[in-house]
Formats: sequence, structure tokens, C-alpha cells
Amino acid sequence: MDTRPLISVVDDDESVRESLPDLLKEFGFEAQAFSSAEEFLASDSVGQTSCLLLDVAMPGMTGPDLKRELTIRRREIPIVFITAHRDENVRPRLIAQGAVECLFKPFTETDLLEALNAALHT
Amino acid sequence: MEASIPGTVPLEALLLTDELRNRPSRAPQHEEENRALVALTSALADSPQTILQTLADEVLAILDAGSAGLSLLTKDKKRFYWAAIAGAWRPHIGGGTPRDFGPCGDVLDHNIPMLFTHWERRYHYLSMALPLADEGLLVPFYVNGEAVGTIWAIAHSNSRKFDAEDLRLLESMGRFASAAYQSVDSIENLKSEITAREKAEIELRELTDSLEAQVQVRTRELRRSEALLAEAQRLSSTGSFSWRVATDEITWSEQLYRIYELEPGMPVTLQLIRTRVHPGDVSLIERMKMVHSAQGGANDFEWQYRLLMPDHSIKYMHAVAHATHDQDDQLEYIAAVQDVTARRLAEEAADKARSELSRVARVMSLGALTASIAHEVNQPLSGIMTNASTCLRMLDADPPNVHGARETARRTIRDGHRATEVITRLRTLFTKKDDTTESVDLNEATREVIALSLNELQRNGVSLRPELADNLPLVTGDRVQLQQVIMNLLRNALESMNGVEDRTRQLLIKTEREEGARVCLSVQDAGVGFEIDNLDRLFEAFYTTKSDGMGMGLSVSRSIIENHQGRLWATRNDGPGVTFSISIPCVTRTTTDENNVDRNTISEKQRAAGGI
Repeated sequence: MDTRPLISVVDDDESVRESLPDLLKEFGFEAQAFSSAEEFLASDSVGQTSCLLLDVAMPGMTGPDLKRELTIRRREIPIVFITAHRDENVRPRLIAQGAVECLFKPFTETDLLEALNAALHT
Repeated sequence: MEASIPGTVPLEALLLTDELRNRPSRAPQHEEENRALVALTSALADSPQTILQTLADEVLAILDAGSAGLSLLTKDKKRFYWAAIAGAWRPHIGGGTPRDFGPCGDVLDHNIPMLFTHWERRYHYLSMALPLADEGLLVPFYVNGEAVGTIWAIAHSNSRKFDAEDLRLLESMGRFASAAYQSVDSIENLKSEITAREKAEIELRELTDSLEAQVQVRTRELRRSEALLAEAQRLSSTGSFSWRVATDEITWSEQLYRIYELEPGMPVTLQLIRTRVHPGDVSLIERMKMVHSAQGGANDFEWQYRLLMPDHSIKYMHAVAHATHDQDDQLEYIAAVQDVTARRLAEEAADKARSELSRVARVMSLGALTASIAHEVNQPLSGIMTNASTCLRMLDADPPNVHGARETARRTIRDGHRATEVITRLRTLFTKKDDTTESVDLNEATREVIALSLNELQRNGVSLRPELADNLPLVTGDRVQLQQVIMNLLRNALESMNGVEDRTRQLLIKTEREEGARVCLSVQDAGVGFEIDNLDRLFEAFYTTKSDGMGMGLSVSRSIIENHQGRLWATRNDGPGVTFSISIPCVTRTTTDENNVDRNTISEKQRAAGGI
């Protein structure tokens, strides 16, 4: 059985879904990508995910929507939000609501690693 | 008795009764008296209804009087009416005198015969009864011992003086008449008939009066409703007309004449209407005639057309017509024509205001636009950075994962293309050759941008100094885009001075004419400036000095200006801050200084010159 923590990426942008899992694997994590919140909820990865890299704005269910849904289902997965919409007001709000971090795209691998470390050690 | 009434003479002054005894009396006329009494008796037998008139006739004859007659009290005892008259006063039958102020009343009051002379001196109303009475001899007339009237004789000339014999004859006739009065129902009937006639006359008069009053009220109401209609037509700028199809008769309301600015009452002809209707339009009546001759029948119409007035102004008409039938069952059209010019102009003004508003919104939205561009560009950028990191890690691994590195490098290039596409799309957006090319007064465009930014300027404690050159030539281009650029430069300048505390936050906006038919606009700030050697880098896409900036504003601005055949550049000030300058060619025409340059001509010229 694989003991590496599973990081799930949920983002409607294809280039993120293609690039991010590869980098996560280079970091030494197991990684999976989903194009929507609904797809992730329907998968069997929900119970195994150690950290969620979650896009904020998506068609259909948004990132915060998914976070609420997981709380209802008592699946408390640490969440790092990633967003291409640079709005400084959003970050403190999301963190106040329980997110570990909120990264603005494009972010550096250092920022990403710091966020993941914080998520996995909470 | 009533001597105190002003302007009248006392009763005593009228009376000559005593003289009757002194005057030389003629011999008793027994023969004549008998003849008269026989005549009265036979009249009583033959035609009792005329007994009073016969009496008057006989008195006239036997006394050789000018007039003779019989006065009877009305039932209410307020007046005497002249029941029968013979002689000169005959036409006055039906007239009469008041009970309490007249010769008859005097006779009844004193219950004696009386001889009057010129009674009109006291009873002025008798001066209306012509010919005037020189002498009047009256005796009371009794019924059942009660005086109910008088019998009288009048001499109209002073050559006839009544004497004692005249009095005797009159009294004799009076007695007979009393007997006749008592025995003849017809007299009572006559009385009531006369009363009824009087009453009827009063009623008729009242009815006539009331009818007249009603007519007056109706006339007033009609006039008022006509006035109301005219006022309503004036207020609503609505005229009306009717068209009787059979006779081709057209009648206009006053207001319609006013709308057409024609003299009210002028005969309405198609030729006359044509002098006002816009040459390109068909008026309602023309339209109605066309439809009527084509298909006949009764139709309803709704129609719009214009008037071209002699002063070349345009009036907009909205007209409706309804077919109806007049009292002769002839087809008639009733039409209302409203002058909707004011409404049309208001609508046009509202449209203009709306498009102005949307234009302002577009000027303001460059910020919002760059935010959404940022989002689109950030996605591929994110991929590029992640891929590059992955690529490096794969190459650094032992052994290096060259295959994986190659794959991620390839993906990096692809994401780079995606980012470029976004920029290309953006440039296309701003180089769109649409119909917005026009002559732009940069001063005016700048003033609007300043007006839109006043709040922000104040909030940031910035003091703005505009130095806009007089007689600045016009430039050709997209007014909104140029304003977006000016707005962007103004915002940048504003933000660059945010942290400045040790000097005035001075902002200078300047327009001036340049050599070579160009116009220059510059925005000079006293901000923190830029820590780079080459200021041209500021215009590169994604170059930003702001923590929350995308580095799109200046890049897009430069694209816009270059599409106007212009240049946008930055220079360091001698003191603190930076100056951004725009230089655009102006319209090269001798008349360019005038604001009312024909826009189409410029556009054509521009196109011919291979312009934007």
C-alpha cells in the first residue's frame, strides 16, 4: 500500500490539472486531478486525500461550496485554495473560514511547498 | 291723500268734481238714454258675454266722450283691470291701474263720482296711456251694494267739458250695468277668464324666462366645454379635424391651425396642407384619401409624419383617425393630430444621455477589464511556472528524468502560447475598426475624465492643475479609447503619489500643439518614480510595480495610442516623479480649428490616407 500522502487537485483549468500533479509527484506526494468539485465528490479519493488544492472560482460548485459540503460530510480535509483572481480581500476571508492558505496564480514552488507543509502538519 | 309722494301733485289738485254743478248743463237726454238702455237690454238678451263692451260703446256714444270703459277689481283686490274700453283707449283693453294709487281707487275710497283733469300729473303711469285725458269722469260700480269697479268716460280735448247731465247719464248706465253684472254669469266667467289669462300670461312669461335662463346656462356650459376642449387641445398640443367623405369637406380645429402655423379659418385644401407637410412624408389626410380611394369602407388610422415649417424646423406628428357617421348617416372621419415634437426631442435627448452613460461606464471599466484579462493570463502563467519547476526537478534528479523534463518543457511552451493568445485577443479588442472613429477634442475628452476622477483626486489629497491649450486642433479616433488611456495615466499618477507625504501631491495635465501637425497630452506626477533604468519597460505586458497590478494598463494604453498613429512614452521629471506623454497627429485640414468639422469628410479623408 502506498504510504505517500495523496494530494488532490480540483481545478477547471486544464494547464493546472496537467502541470500541478507532476510537480506534486516530484515533491514526493501522490497526486490526482479533478476538473470539478462534483467529480471529486463522486470519486473514492475523498476518504484518502490528505490535502486538497482547490480552485476558488469554478463553473457549478465553487471551491468554498466544496469546502462546506465536506464539512457537512464530516470529511475535514486541509484545504489550500488556489486562484487566478488576485483579490487581496479574498485571502484573509478564506483563511478565516478555515482554509490553510490561499495562493494566487502564478505561485512559486516555494510558496506551494510551504502551504502543503502547513496543511499536512495541522 | 298721498300728497307726500315726491314729484306728484295732491289728489285735490286733480279734481274738478265741484265744477260739475257750476258748469252750464245741457238738457236731459232722456231719449238718448232710453235708446242706450234698450240697446243694453237687447245686448243682455242676445250676447251677454259682450255686455260690458256694449256698455262701454253706449257710454262713449251717449256722453260723446273720447274714450269710455269699465274697470273691475281683480280677485286679489290689488289692481283694477280694464275689462272693456271703447274709443281712443280701446287698444289698452287688458291694462289697468293699481288699487291703492289711481283714479279708480280714489273713487272707491270716497265712494263718490269724481271728475279728474290731467291725472297723469299725480299718476305718472297714466302718461303712458295715450292720448292723454284732459278730463276723466268716473262713477263707482256696485255689485250687491259693494263697489267692485268704476265706469268712466274721458275727454281727450279741452273743447269737451263734462257736466251734470253727463254725470247723471253715467250713473244711470252704471246702475243698469250693476244689474246686468249681477245677472250675467258670463261676467264672472269673464273675470276668471281674464284672471286665468293673466295667470297664464305670467306662467308663460315665467316659463319663457326660465327657458331663456336654461338656454343661457346651456350656452355658457357649451362655451365652457368648447373653451375646455380648446384649452385641452392647446395643452396637449393636439389638434383635431373632421373629413366628410361625401362632400370632401375638411374642418380643422383652431389648435390644428396653430400646430400647422396657419391662419385660423383658412379654407383647408390638400395644397395648403402640402405647404407644411415634409416633402418626404405623407400626411394623415393624404393617407386616408389614398386608402379610401383604394379600398373604400370605414377604416381606423394611426399615422406618423413630419411637418417642415417655413423656418426649416421639423415637427413630428402622431395622428389617429376614426370612422363614424354624421347625423345624415354620411361617412365622416374624426381625427386627432398630436404634435409630439417635444416628446421626440426628449426621447432623443434621453437616448443620447443613455449612450453617454454607457460610454462613461466603458471609460471607467478599463480597470475591470484588466482584472478579467489578468485572470485569463494568470491561468497559463501558473502552468508555465509549475511546469518549469517540475522540469528543473526532473533534470536535477539522479538519474535525470530527461523524458519527463522534455515533456514538461513542451507543456511550458504550450502554456506560453496560450498566454500570448490572450494578449493577441486583447490587442484585437482594442484595434477593432468599428464606427467609433470621430473628431475628438482632446481638451474636452480630458475635462470629462477629470470630472469622472474628481472624487478620487480629492480622496487622495491630490491637487490637479490642468493646462489645456486654447484652439487645440482636433484629432481623429475613438473617443472612448483615448479617454481610457487618459484615465489610466491619471490613475497611475494618482497611485504613484500615494505614499508621498513630504511634498504637495501635484498632478499636471497639459495639452499643447506640436510641430508637424500633432497634438501632445502629458500627465506629470510628483510620485515615487520607477527604480528601473529603461522606462520603456513600463509598457511591456505584465510589467508591474504595484503589488496588486497586472502590468496591463500601460501596455494596453500604448496599443491604443499606436493604433491612433501616435506615441506613448514616459520621461523622468527634473524633480520627483514621472511624466507620461501622448503625441497624436491632428486632422490636417485648414478648417481643423473649427469644432463643427464635417465628420464624414474627415473619416473619408482618413480612410483614403489609409488611416485607422
